Amino acid sequence: MWDTFILNPMVNGLLLLYDLLGNNFILAIAVFTVLIRAVTLPLNMRQQRSSMRMQEMQPQIQAIQKKYRDNPQKMQEEFQKIGYNPAESLAGCLPLLIQFPVLIGLYQAITTVLGATPQALFGLTQRVYSSIDLTQLLPIENKFLWLNMAQPDPWLVLPILVFATMFLQQKLLTPPTPKDKSAQDNPAAQMTQSMQYTMPIMFGFFSLQFPAGLSIYFVLSNLIGIAQGYYMRQTMPPAPAKPTPIKSEVEVAEKKSEPKSGKSGSDQKKSSTAGKRRSAKR
Amino acid sequence: MYAAKRPSKWPVVVILVLASWLVVACGSRISNANWPGLTADGENVYVAYGGGVLAYNVVERTQEWLFAPQPGRLAFYAAPSVQDGRVVVGDFGASGGFFSPGVVTTIYGLEGNGGSTPDELWANSELTTDRIVASALQVGDTAFIGTSDNQLLAIDTISGDLIWKFETEHSIWAQPSYKDGIIFVTCLDKNVYALDAETGAEKWRLTLEGATAAHPLVDTDYLYVTSFDRKLHAISLSTGEAQWVVDAQDWIWGAAALSDGAVYFADAKGNVYAVDAETGDALWTQQVDGVVQASTVVANGIVYVASVTTLEDGQPAGLLTALSTDGGAQLWQQETIVPLYTTPVLVDGTLVVAVQTADTLLIAFDAATGVKQWDLPIPGQS
Repeated sequence: MWDTFILNPMVNGLLLLYDLLGNNFILAIAVFTVLIRAVTLPLNMRQQRSSMRMQEMQPQIQAIQKKYRDNPQKMQEEFQKIGYNPAESLAGCLPLLIQFPVLIGLYQAITTVLGATPQALFGLTQRVYSSIDLTQLLPIENKFLWLNMAQPDPWLVLPILVFATMFLQQKLLTPPTPKDKSAQDNPAAQMTQSMQYTMPIMFGFFSLQFPAGLSIYFVLSNLIGIAQGYYMRQTMPPAPAKPTPIKSEVEVAEKKSEPKSGKSGSDQKKSSTAGKRRSAKR
Repeated sequence: MYAAKRPSKWPVVVILVLASWLVVACGSRISNANWPGLTADGENVYVAYGGGVLAYNVVERTQEWLFAPQPGRLAFYAAPSVQDGRVVVGDFGASGGFFSPGVVTTIYGLEGNGGSTPDELWANSELTTDRIVASALQVGDTAFIGTSDNQLLAIDTISGDLIWKFETEHSIWAQPSYKDGIIFVTCLDKNVYALDAETGAEKWRLTLEGATAAHPLVDTDYLYVTSFDRKLHAISLSTGEAQWVVDAQDWIWGAAALSDGAVYFADAKGNVYAVDAETGDALWTQQVDGVVQASTVVANGIVYVASVTTLEDGQPAGLLTALSTDGGAQLWQQETIVPLYTTPVLVDGTLVVAVQTADTLLIAFDAATGVKQWDLPIPGQS
């Protein structure tokens, strides 16, 4: 199943590109990366938009959560009023989940196509579609500058590039978090911020181990991600500085339930902190 | 249900970094394995398998020695080269360290000493940066060995020092051949090279239409080269000019074998060919089951062909087929539980094949009748 629908099409796709692009494996990986990113682009854009929207709505979401922590039904209703669907944040992970099989498939495809051992080449012959003339394509050129595509970069250049480009990409794709107290209390923002550093470190480490061909895919993919992030920043409207009308509704609801507190909507931060203290005392 | 507690980011960071470290540290630097490499010398067979290099006395059925310098970390798959008890073999490489992703590949000179481990005469890690797939060829005190980083190396077998090296355009997976001071090398770059054995100077090269993973076969006047271009090429030893070709139906992975004026070879579709060594005229063609990857072996009027087949239940298996050199009639056939990729070797009337299952490394058959004689488990496993 995996071989038929993921690995073999990828192997043959890479071979076809290698053939069409003058037997240049780097170019084949580059075009392959662009194609993969193009296929997942709608999902990625949707994820980013959803992520940015969630980030903007966090103060309202937290206020509702705090207010109706003992009344889930009411909480859901309030969520609906502001247009927040908790399941949507899970759906935002979909592009990531889709990219994992692609990543694993690509890892296997690159090592298979390079056929760096007789056994790997023998395995390759069993996967190639009859329309591709492997005899003419072999041997697959596996050297580029100092790199052997089937082995990790011995000079650490690619792991550093993977780290740097992924960090930049994460930075661009992560909505800026305000440095106020509410942002610090926001778990989603905290998680996003930590992922901004963790993912590049993780993939940098992976690149110490992975074949150079795969690291090149990471770098190219990140560069496209950086361009995409830049585009999103340019086209997405900036987060509103003041509470939205919807947010005001939430605050009105808060106000009604706490008539003696006398706090205005703009004192939400204080209210939030006070609520926390009360909870702690209880 | 939706009440948010503020989680610390550090556990997530630590777990992800630890997971990355585990993947990097525990993963093998070179993930691709290969099939075992097998060679014979006198009463002994030498097999390079994942765990090390084993010398085994086939006649007395005793283990001579085992060379496993870094079990679990360092793999050997190139067939060892043996001359006067001295073994030259290269490994598949190991990681240079956590922050040193370069692969360290070593070529060893070994010699049995009567003990359970051989003497390590020398070990040179400065010669190549990629795995050794090819078997070395020893001529006098020089070993010629092809590497996956596009070199043919001439090494002093006394000291392990490099004498000369010759750059090719791609990996060398096959053992070179030698005749009258000339080294003949086949390469994945589709070229066949003839080099001066003393200096490494190129005498001639012939470009074929396909890559070659099999060693060239030397005869009096011709060099016989099988290739992925589906042809057997007869090449003039002196000039490098193609003399004649024989077409096959599929890739030819294994080398040809020569006996009594006939050349035998098999293609990946299982066709076994016998042709006249002088003219290339067909003598006979026979079909065996499965895909043939290994070289054909000829001795005492029998052609042995190892192949990879699929059983009725879909499981891969191996087939060992014996054909008569006189007409190609099948003499016997034996099935093995795992595919046969490695070229069999003959020792004192016993045909030995190397496999690599969880518990078996060698299987021996009577060369004349095909009756199974014994099998040998992987060292360290009962």
